[in-house]
Amino acid sequence: MTALAGTMPGMRRPSVLLVGGVVLGLIVLACLVGTVWTPFEPTAFSVRARLQAPGPLHPFGTDEFGRDVLSRVLAGGYLSLATGAGAMAISLVLGVPLGLLAAFHRGWTDEAIMRGVDLLISLPPVLLGLLVLAVTPPSLWKTIAVVGLVYVPILVRLTRAVALGLLQEEFVQAARARGEGALPILWHEVLPNAWPPIIVECGLRVTFAILLGSALSFLGLGPQPPASEWGLMIAGGRDFLTQAPWICLAPGLCLCVLLVSVNLVGEGLRERLDPHHGGGHG
Amino acid sequence: MGDAGLIVEGLAVQYPTGRGALHAVQDVSLAVAPGEVLGLVGESGSGKSTVLLALLGLLAPGTVRARRMDYDGHDLLRGAPSLRGRRIGMVFQDTAAALNPALTVGVQLTEPMRLHLGRSRAAAWARGTELLAETGIPRPGEIMRAYPHQLSGGMKQRVGIAAALATEPDLLLLDEPTTALDVTVEAQILALLHELRARRGLSMLLVSHNLGIVDRLCDTVAVLYAGRVAEVGPAGDVLHRPRHPYTKGLLAALPRPDRPHAGRLAPIPGGLPDLVAPEPGCAFRPRCAFAAPGCEMPQHLAGAPNAAACHRAAALSGVAWPFEEVERRLPAPVAAVPLLDARDLTARFESGGWVGRMLGRGRSVLAVDKVSLRIGAGEVVGLVGESGCGKSTLGRLLLRLLPSEGGEIRFDGEAVGARPGVPFRRRAQIVFQNPDSSLNPRQTVGTILGRAVRWFGTAEDVEAEVGRLLDLVRLPRRYAARAPHQLSGGEKQRVGIARALASRPDFLVCDEAVSALDVSVQAAVLNLLRDLRDELGVAYLFISHDIGVIAHIADRIAVMYHGTIVEEGPAEAVLRPPYHPYTELLLSSVPLIGQRRAVPPRVERVVPGGGCKFAARCPRYLGPVCDTVPPVRVAGPGHMILCHVPLPVLEAVPHWLAPAAAPMESVS
Repeated sequence: MTALAGTMPGMRRPSVLLVGGVVLGLIVLACLVGTVWTPFEPTAFSVRARLQAPGPLHPFGTDEFGRDVLSRVLAGGYLSLATGAGAMAISLVLGVPLGLLAAFHRGWTDEAIMRGVDLLISLPPVLLGLLVLAVTPPSLWKTIAVVGLVYVPILVRLTRAVALGLLQEEFVQAARARGEGALPILWHEVLPNAWPPIIVECGLRVTFAILLGSALSFLGLGPQPPASEWGLMIAGGRDFLTQAPWICLAPGLCLCVLLVSVNLVGEGLRERLDPHHGGGHG
Repeated sequence: MGDAGLIVEGLAVQYPTGRGALHAVQDVSLAVAPGEVLGLVGESGSGKSTVLLALLGLLAPGTVRARRMDYDGHDLLRGAPSLRGRRIGMVFQDTAAALNPALTVGVQLTEPMRLHLGRSRAAAWARGTELLAETGIPRPGEIMRAYPHQLSGGMKQRVGIAAALATEPDLLLLDEPTTALDVTVEAQILALLHELRARRGLSMLLVSHNLGIVDRLCDTVAVLYAGRVAEVGPAGDVLHRPRHPYTKGLLAALPRPDRPHAGRLAPIPGGLPDLVAPEPGCAFRPRCAFAAPGCEMPQHLAGAPNAAACHRAAALSGVAWPFEEVERRLPAPVAAVPLLDARDLTARFESGGWVGRMLGRGRSVLAVDKVSLRIGAGEVVGLVGESGCGKSTLGRLLLRLLPSEGGEIRFDGEAVGARPGVPFRRRAQIVFQNPDSSLNPRQTVGTILGRAVRWFGTAEDVEAEVGRLLDLVRLPRRYAARAPHQLSGGEKQRVGIARALASRPDFLVCDEAVSALDVSVQAAVLNLLRDLRDELGVAYLFISHDIGVIAHIADRIAVMYHGTIVEEGPAEAVLRPPYHPYTELLLSSVPLIGQRRAVPPRVERVVPGGGCKFAARCPRYLGPVCDTVPPVRVAGPGHMILCHVPLPVLEAVPHWLAPAAAPMESVS
């Protein structure tokens, strides 16, 4: 009966990865293009073209200074993407090794790392942002670093929990019986099996990171005007929400589509990374 | 027979899968007359649990078909839910999972009575207490108010049986009711079931993979293979004069403690057929030693007293499953210096975390208590004991995988430190129990073995060495490219053994290395381990709870109870008197085919502790002297017994296989 569990048809699932991947790819491509070319100069004022509704010339309309919203969304997109990807990279690079270390060396190392993580998690993320960004001049890399730092505890805890389970497995015991040390055991035996949950978590967290980055920008703690980071654009457009909702809606919708596609990719990757998926049955 | 009792005709169950319908059960016909006990035996995947679920109406609609499935004239195909839990009681294998941890025993026991029989709370409570008493639970009034986690495994199974009896059913369905229990507890539960049957006239349908307990309890036995009945008939005939080759093979593959060192076991080659595309002929044909033309035709049950679905049954009458006779190897010559010499190893498990420990609130359990053990080169030492006795912990202590409090280990004359280097690791390796957990699911067999070969640097040409290791464990070399989930349980276990052999060790700890395997596969792995011992001269510490396995493979046996080795000696000496009282209890609890023996009475007494650990359960308790540390009695060359009872008394104990042990019932 147990042999049956894995044999259900899986025709629907791979398309999740495909759809998410294509949408994400298009967004990334558009944002890359946006760094070198946009339909209009994203920072060019035009008094005559103020607050124009979306139309053939300006598909996303114009803002209060007559700037083309589409051009601004395209030009600023890389900031959101960089925040998400950069922050996740920082959390991964710091969080996964710390989590593995804590799981492998139970006792004082574990206690030190986990209590440090508790300390970090007890600070509200926005407060952490304020702390760093309010006392020093804001800039993109600082936003990325702060957002990355905020998600380190979650990854440490997740990695530790997954690794603790794996370290009990008999194949890890076998490696210990060969006299292997922490590094080879963690690298060859634990990490490859720990990836799927971490990847899924990252997929989810990238979206939160982008949101948090945007929220910090919204509060004026990220890239500064006239940069067109999406959170910043939403912040700038909220004064005109009733007269010209497109100023907020355009970057907001773009953010939504980006987040959904990242989530789909995360979910699709999890399916793919399952060793029982595809190839043989047992 | 009429319409009374359970009658199943032409039961078929199909599960939908991605590749088409999986025929889990095909054309199974069974009958359980009132007051009769039917045993349903088979290995994993034979469909025996599926039959139970079908009877209870617990399978998805549309998957079950039958020409007839009646209980006392009630149609179970439609009406199972109204009978289930009322006239048909069910006892599960894992009572820990079957009992709700958040409710007291009393609530779970009275609920079915109030629901099905409409009894008042007080009446149901009183009846529940009676039922607990009937199932042999001491202080039933107290246990009614207890939660499941406060009970031991055997007690939980008794509660499970009491819950199944709560609605006064006349048919009990038992799914592996003793598989999760220790052998001494198993014997108690079997005796209880036997007694209940006699007292209440219950019918039972017992599903089990263990032929010993089936023989113990059942009148009729049906042997299931690949979803079809291979053989059915009176228990005595099926198990003593089997007619179907599969039954013969199963019996030949079983290591039996009453026949220690009986040469090689006879494994059944191959594995279960693909049930998505079952063949019309005999499903056992590809694995059968007697396959002949005609086997590809559909087989029908025929013959008496036991009917076998085999057209050659008559021709094969009296022919046993073939196995190669091998000369018994002489025990390894005892060297002056033992290969492994461990003294006073101690392991303590702390609970409560470091904060609790600093505050002095931690609790500790002594898992291994100053154990000394010697193992000679090429010697197989069997370590036997109930779960939780510390045998696995001792195995890990010997390999320095767990830190020991004090004590010392000498390997080949040299002291082994607390953190031994690669030279010791190279020579002492371990094989694990669980084939599903012992291989990294993300590595191919080639990577798994290759990593061990590279780590120890045993060979320049890693690929060739991996091939040699696969040859050694009798797996095809092309398996190097396979992932663990593409292997069967027995194949995974072979890869685990090959990995342990990669460093060409002198000593292997086999921690329940065959316990998770089906009998037919287990026999092959046991034979392999035995051959490797002979070919490579590897010494084993063979840890198992199964005395049959230990008796089959071990040169010397050590019996462990609560962290202490209570008896140790040559295998033949340990398996005959004088015994330690615990060894005697273990041996007399083993369900043996063809022996319905008296169950030793359960003993529980409160002892002050600090003395003999077995005093609390000892049937031969002498008095306060047993509450002091017992002396070591030398019963023969290399045979020690840790007991206060004088040797002459222990020697006078009847042999555990002697028929004089007051048989509960003669073999039919």
